[in-house]
Formats: sequence, structure tokens, C-alpha cells
Amino acid sequence: MRLLQKIRRKSRSAQNRGSSNYAYATARVRAMKSNLLPIDTYPRLMNMGINEITRFIQETQYKQEVDELAREYTGVDLIEHALSTNLANTFSKIIRFTEGELCYLVTEYLRNYDIWNIKTLLRGKYYNAPVDEIKESIVSAGQLNYSFLAGLADMDSYTDVIEGLKNTPYYTVLKEFDGTNLSDIENMLDQMYYSGLFHAIGGLGVSDRRLLSTFIRSEIDIKNIRTLFRLKKYTIEDEEEIPQLILAGGLELKMDDIEKMIPLSTEEFGQALEKYSYWKAISNVVGSDMDSLIALETELTKYSIRSATKFSHAHPLSIAPIMDYIVSKRNEVSNLRIIIRGKASNLNEEVIRNQLVI
Amino acid sequence: MGVNDVKPTRSELIELKKKIKLSQGGHKLLKMKRDGLILEFFEILSKAKDVRTELDAVYEKATEKIGIAESVEGRIVVKSTAFALKDTPQIMIESHSIMGVVVPKIESSSVHKPINKRGYGILGTSAYIDEAADAYELMVEKIILAAEIETTIKRLLDDIEKTKRRVNALEFKVIPELQEAMKFITLRLDEMERENTFRLKRIKKS
Repeated sequence: MRLLQKIRRKSRSAQNRGSSNYAYATARVRAMKSNLLPIDTYPRLMNMGINEITRFIQETQYKQEVDELAREYTGVDLIEHALSTNLANTFSKIIRFTEGELCYLVTEYLRNYDIWNIKTLLRGKYYNAPVDEIKESIVSAGQLNYSFLAGLADMDSYTDVIEGLKNTPYYTVLKEFDGTNLSDIENMLDQMYYSGLFHAIGGLGVSDRRLLSTFIRSEIDIKNIRTLFRLKKYTIEDEEEIPQLILAGGLELKMDDIEKMIPLSTEEFGQALEKYSYWKAISNVVGSDMDSLIALETELTKYSIRSATKFSHAHPLSIAPIMDYIVSKRNEVSNLRIIIRGKASNLNEEVIRNQLVI
Repeated sequence: MGVNDVKPTRSELIELKKKIKLSQGGHKLLKMKRDGLILEFFEILSKAKDVRTELDAVYEKATEKIGIAESVEGRIVVKSTAFALKDTPQIMIESHSIMGVVVPKIESSSVHKPINKRGYGILGTSAYIDEAADAYELMVEKIILAAEIETTIKRLLDDIEKTKRRVNALEFKVIPELQEAMKFITLRLDEMERENTFRLKRIKKS
């Protein structure tokens, strides 16, 4: 925590970010949103075979990525890589056409992809995975571009990767990696992502600050609920470890509330959540006989995506439509992947349908 | 042992009687061993059937869980998360004996790990990954158990077959041949006895 506070202090608080192009950016994002697949596409896709879905995806906005990657991959792998490459290209485009404070905020929000890629690089090097496999897992949708990340993947060891990231804000956390504490480093990177986001929000104008802050804090609540359910399922009661896994700054679940919830059983925890707005979304799946948390994860994801959409309609000329597009695009990619991977894995149609967020 | 190779002497007869007694004793023991092994086999067979059924169910569940994880999170995410786990399960093989048959005893450690010891960060992953990992850990445990039981069954079956062949060889080949040889020697000795008596009578008469 001390390390995170240091990072917070050191980050670029006094940066002059210039003026934002809200009108232009939101207009472009709205045009891009019109290219997203309509809702009625998914039931149609559910009735198609894998080859038909592949063909369908090839004829949409993903065509370019499918064509480019067709030499390296085939079948479902081709579609999954095309989807994630398209997602990366789209988000990079948003970073490019936004300006000033808006660009700064979008970049901060998309830093989770940078963090994801750094984790992949560390894990890959730690495991001694082949360089090609590490590169395949990179999704360069954040600030760090693919060639920089691929260059890091070419390095010999994780120490070289960390040295390669010396000029990034992640170095403060990464230099603590000693080859045995990978999970701690990953958790610290995630903590750092949210503290960085809060820092970025802190410098905003009143309405935007409130908007984005509500969005992020709700995301934090959902993440904390997920984490607590997981910790309870696996009966992890380490008093030193648990606070490091809880994200501060939630919208409804304050730290004091969470501290009270930590010692509760799963059933009691479920009851304690009844007074929060998230309960509506999860009441059907929370119970004393929760063998699996998959239904809970799915319901919380659906809740998160739906609330992001609602919030964008309420504030049309702000960062909200951009965040909504990011969430919707991510959801589209996720839905397409769920259908095609689910069909390839011979998952029951009902199971696939339950995972979709339409 | 053919009858022609047998020397019809008293010492040979005594030797044969000893061999028959030994063979009959061995036959009885081997029969008991065979029956014991068969009993043991049926006992383990029911365990093996249960383990196989459980393994099939666990495999089906693991396939479903990894299918869900790969479809919701993506194979890219699953693969990357898997890189975080460097420790491989430790397997120790000991042996013990069931009625003289050496069978393996497989012990495993670090197969099932709590989520905070799997190497990946909890904040950046989801229950989809946890449950896929859980299902696969359980499957590895079941595979180890099935390997132990199925190897035991294989060894027991080999030994039952071997013992059965020995029992049959003693029962239908060795003991009957020895008995035949004994019968031949007895007949031959009786014949020699009669010849001797007749010779003595002829000498006495002349």
C-alpha cells in the first residue's frame, strides 16, 4: 500500500493536457457505434454453424483483421485473434482521435490493456514460454504499442523485460518482482491501475469527474464483490493478504463495510449485500449452495455493461459516450467469442446463451 | 517327463512320491493364491469402475469449464494465465505387495492449490479461470488415482493369468505325468518282483 501511495504521489498530477475535442470525438464514436452489430445478430449467430459464423464475421468490420491473420491462424483461433486485434486497433484509433484531457482519460482507462500485456510478458518469461506464444497473447489496445511489446517479448528474461519498462510508470511496481511473488506483483499492478485512474479523475472538471468517478467506482464495487465471493469460496482468511486484494474507492461498498464483510460466511455475505443496488442483479444466483461462481460473474458482468450503457445516454456530450462505446465494443467482441468458442467447445446452447450479454 | 525316461527303481519311486507330494502342495498353494488374487481383483475392479466413472464425469466438467473460460475470457487470456503457474505436480511412486504381486502406490502433492498460490493475481482474473483450474486439478488427482488402480489391476491380471497357467500345468500336466511315472515304476517293480519269485521257484525246482 505504501508503494501505491508513492506511485500516486509521483504520477503526473500537474500535467497540462490541453483542450479536449468532445464534440468531434463523441460524433466519431457515435458513427463507430452504428457499425456495431445489431442485437438481433446474436440469436441468428446462435443458429449458425462455426463455418457460417466465420463467414459472417469475415463480411463485417473484422474483415481486414481476418484477412491479415489468415496466414497465421485457422478456424476459431483465427476469429479470436482477429476479434482481439480489431479491438486493439479500434481502441488505439480512439486514443489517436481524442485530444487533450479526453485523450488522457481514455488512455488512463485503457491502461488495463497495458497492464494485461505486462502481466503476459512477465508470466511468459517466468514460465519460459516460446516467444511466439507470448506475442500471440499480446492485445495492444492500450498506450504501449505492439512493436514495443513484441520487442520486450523477444528479450531473454523477465529482468530484461522489467528493465525495458524502466521509463514507464509500472517500473515502480515491477522492480519489486523477485521471481517468486508474481501474483503479488499482478495484484499491485491492478491496484496501481485504479489508483492511477482516480488520480486522473481528480484533475477533471466537476461534471466529468462525477461521471467517470461514478463509472469507475461502480466497477470497483463489482470487482470487490467478485473478489470477496472468490476468497470466501476458497476460504482464504489471511488477514495480511486480503486487504491487498480489496480495491479502495468503491461507490457503495466503503472500506469499513468491506472490512466487516471479510469475516462473514458466504451466506452471511450474501445477506449483507441485500442493502446494496447490486443485489438486484445477483439475488437469483446467490445462495448457500453456491458450488460455482460462474453465474454470479456473468450476472455482475451483465450489470456492469448495462449500467455503462445507461450512463452514456444520460450524458451525451461528455466522456460517457466514449466509455459506452469502449464497453459496447468490448461486449461485442466478447459475445462473438462466446458464441464461436462455445460452439467449438461443444458447449450446451443454454450455457452459451447464459454467458451472452445482449 | 515321458514314461520311457523313467528308471524303474525303488529310489526313483521314492523320489517321485516326494515330487508328487511337493507338486500337490504347490498346486494347493497356487490355487489358493489364484483364488485370493481373483478375490482381490474383483474388489479393486469395483473401485476401478467407480474411479473411471468419476474420471469421466470430472473430464466432462473440466471440458465444460475450460470451454466456458475460453469463450468468456478468450483462449489468449486462459493461455497467458496458465503461464503464471510454473510448479508442476510432484508424483512419488512407491510399491507394495498384494499376495506377492508388486503394485504401485502413487502419491501426489501440489496438485490442488488455493487460488492465492496458483501464481496469478486474483484481482486481474475471474471465477471462470479459477473454476477451470479447479476442474483440471481435480482431473489430475483422479488421473493419478486411476493410474494407481488401473496399474494394480493390470499387474493382478497378469499374475492371475500366470498363476492360473501354473495351477493348470501342475493339475493337468506335471502331477498326472508324475503319477503315471509312479504307476509305471510300481507296475514295473511288481513285475520285477514277480519275475524274481518265478526265477527263484524255477531254480528251486531244478
